[in-house]
Amino acid sequence: MSSSSAAVNSQSPSLKTYFKTPEGRYKLQYEKTHPAAVLHYSHGKAVSQLTIACLKERPTTQASATPSIPSSGGVRSAAARLLGAGNGSRALSFVGGNGVSRPVSGSSRIGGSAGASTGSGSSQPVANFDDKGTYLIFNSADTLFISDLNSQDKDPIKSIHFSNSNPVCHAFDSEVKGGHDLLIGLHTGDVSLRQQLQDPGRKLVAAHHYNKDGSINNRHRGRVAVAGSRCTCIAWVPEGDGTFVVGHADGNIYVYERNKDGTADCSFPAIKDQTQFAVAHARSPKSNPIARWHIYQGSINSLSFSSDGTCLATVGRDGYLRVFDFAKDQLKFGGRSYYGALLCCAWSSDGKYILTGGEDDLVQVWSTEDRKIVACGEGHNSWVSGVAFDSYWSTPNSEGTGENVVYRFGSVGQDTQLLLWDLAMDEIVVPLRCGPPGGSPTFNSGSPAAHWDSVCVVGSLQPSPSIRDVPKISPLVAHRAHVDPLSELIFTNESVVTISREGHIKIWMRPRHAESNESSSSEAVVPTASVKDRPTTSSIKNSSFSYK
Amino acid sequence: MVMGATGSKLEKALGEQFPEGERYFGLENFGNTCYCNSVLQVLYFCIPFREQLLDYYENNKIVGDAEENLLTCLTDLFSQISSQKKKTGVISPRRFVQRVKKQNELFRSYMHQDAHEFLNFLLNELVDILERESNAANASPEASSSSSSSSSEKVANGPSNPTVNGLRKDPFVTWVHDSFQGILTNETRCLRCETVTARDETFFDLSLDIEQNSSITSCLKNFSSTETLNAEDKFFCDKCCSLQEAQKRMKIKKPPSILVIHLKRFKYIEHLGRNKKLSYRVVFPMELKLMNTVEDPDTEYSLFAVVVHIGTGPNHGHYVSLVKSHNHWLYFDDETVEMIDESTMHKYFGSSQEYSSNTEHGYILFYESLGKSS
Repeated sequence: MSSSSAAVNSQSPSLKTYFKTPEGRYKLQYEKTHPAAVLHYSHGKAVSQLTIACLKERPTTQASATPSIPSSGGVRSAAARLLGAGNGSRALSFVGGNGVSRPVSGSSRIGGSAGASTGSGSSQPVANFDDKGTYLIFNSADTLFISDLNSQDKDPIKSIHFSNSNPVCHAFDSEVKGGHDLLIGLHTGDVSLRQQLQDPGRKLVAAHHYNKDGSINNRHRGRVAVAGSRCTCIAWVPEGDGTFVVGHADGNIYVYERNKDGTADCSFPAIKDQTQFAVAHARSPKSNPIARWHIYQGSINSLSFSSDGTCLATVGRDGYLRVFDFAKDQLKFGGRSYYGALLCCAWSSDGKYILTGGEDDLVQVWSTEDRKIVACGEGHNSWVSGVAFDSYWSTPNSEGTGENVVYRFGSVGQDTQLLLWDLAMDEIVVPLRCGPPGGSPTFNSGSPAAHWDSVCVVGSLQPSPSIRDVPKISPLVAHRAHVDPLSELIFTNESVVTISREGHIKIWMRPRHAESNESSSSEAVVPTASVKDRPTTSSIKNSSFSYK
Repeated sequence: MVMGATGSKLEKALGEQFPEGERYFGLENFGNTCYCNSVLQVLYFCIPFREQLLDYYENNKIVGDAEENLLTCLTDLFSQISSQKKKTGVISPRRFVQRVKKQNELFRSYMHQDAHEFLNFLLNELVDILERESNAANASPEASSSSSSSSSEKVANGPSNPTVNGLRKDPFVTWVHDSFQGILTNETRCLRCETVTARDETFFDLSLDIEQNSSITSCLKNFSSTETLNAEDKFFCDKCCSLQEAQKRMKIKKPPSILVIHLKRFKYIEHLGRNKKLSYRVVFPMELKLMNTVEDPDTEYSLFAVVVHIGTGPNHGHYVSLVKSHNHWLYFDDETVEMIDESTMHKYFGSSQEYSSNTEHGYILFYESLGKSS
């Protein structure tokens, strides 16, 4: 793989192919992109977003709510079909029997995981990479591309072209019932559900098409001449039994059930007050979407579910983070950016914290228990477009107690940088309000200002806090990762994956550890978005990262 | 002078939402006068400024026709727009443009001019005229008509400007100052005796150096970053009575009511021996707060206008302006006025690649203060 890193060097000589952290070096492993023939995003209409899909047999020990697990053979053939259909010559060769006969337990995947985490470990048989079947799904202009995460091949293995509209957001759930798994939100407001990533027996076509030609958005919008408000974000409800939600630019979120026909007549009462939050359930029981959440009158820029699916966080143009009890249709709390729109949000896997990033160049950390902002990260030189907790990272202290003392998270920005942060809640310094001019921070020994102690009221939206009241944190690492502005990052078990607005992907391998890779890979290796990385059993707790 | 070419389309687009009493008029181009038109449109939709000008017009009409100057030409133009019977159309700013050319030889040629230079020239010229009038009024005590009383009147576009203590008397403060003037303080800390020397200066706009893939927030941060004076460039400390190493930084002491940010997109490149246009991607948020202030950092600003430069070089190209009026964004391109969506604003951020087909770049940004954050 030295050749690939050489190619990296020649392409962008000013960019480093690694960055250092206290636990070691992250190395650029692979780059992925789409064919150069694809038009550059024109005026940002199709900012590339990234979804990771893990096609793999599921261990039977994983006591998930999913009742019908497709046979491993079926999954495998689905993967083969998916990959083969695009370009025959690149079809991956699945080693016969390798996966099917393999005992399904956590330890069985050590080989693959360790091989990948060696970074340049070219000794690893290719079959093992394929075996893991982890794919990157990303959009660029009017096309959705699928690349193999663990292959050194730069080009996608498959592409799905949309003739009428640009795909703008997508979501994947490997555990959704029935195997329809990939959701795609379009610029026209349409939503497409595709089964091709998992269901073996079907053709590679859209299984369902919801909100055709943006019809629901039109029906109740009165005379505003917008042909369906564009999709901005999409997500499966974790543990939601095939329920998913779609956020739109007009401030609405629609809730769908994947099994229901999307063509039935569906109507919602007119929105009385555009500025007020209101949930409306569909009049007809046949309707799909089944509910409309009117959040406010501006764009919903991002949404994220807590890993148990009970809480939904949204961020938008008005700069507010809103956290809802999803089942009760209720606002739990909300707070505002320092200024400008919020662009992204993410939950910690334990549901205690939420990250937001936005047009004030700040990364904000919110406590769901205190219902307020607890820290503010300064380090980006432009808007923060992606945030994520690293749920695969844990501190030595976390052993046994199950309590995370330090949280690791990352952020990417339009300044082309990837930043990593450590959030140590007991080291957070609350500035004193009546300090000397310039607000010099006082250390933990001093008593925090009284105004800071208050817990915010349930169901209320808090205004922007004064910048001098919020504890500041600084990044652990700031790395110029790409030449273009970035749009998203995702942590996997072995790597950090970054994507630029124009659809260039870089995979940064985690530092390799001298001591057992076994312990590190004993945790669930499913590299998925943070909403799905709940621990499967209490016994497997990652203990591989230890400061020396 | 009114030509209703583009009117109907915009009126249709706005429909019933056409704001009561508002006028959206394009401005005729007299050969490379887009630098002037783009700035005029922004100033017209800078509501406190427009209201002051129209007040001035009302008050001075009674006095009779005084000598023509840039201020009278501008007030005539503004009142001409605001008193149009039609809601949309095109107006010729001929008299104003002629006056500009008469007054300043820089703008006399048909060459492409710099909109920022023009804005600066215009504001300073208006201040000079008001100052002269005030002096003349003070000399002849019977007339104390317009300019000084105006700041107490209501301002629709934000809170009325708080009068900074002492500023009113000396130096002379006009309503131009009330809208646009802020105060910078240049703090120099001697590294030997730790004494901080502060020197204040006023500004009508902030000129910011820009970097590729950055934000206005980041440019403002750099503007106020600490600079160390050492080696050849030491600081003479009055207390130490000698040249000393020192740290210097610029802070905003009094944030202006209307914050004008000029992006230095035209940069002299030494090895080229000429100015080059920087097409860097510099994102600007719809709302902004100044973190580099001496106190009270939480005043929120809202973007209400952008002067956009279109073109690849500094010596040619075109200017248009984007203006927010009654919560709609409008695109003013000389005679043409169109409605645009706020979500298309990112087209004017610039380009993250050196060579790009997109050459429309935000050049001067206008933010209005929303007062203290709620």
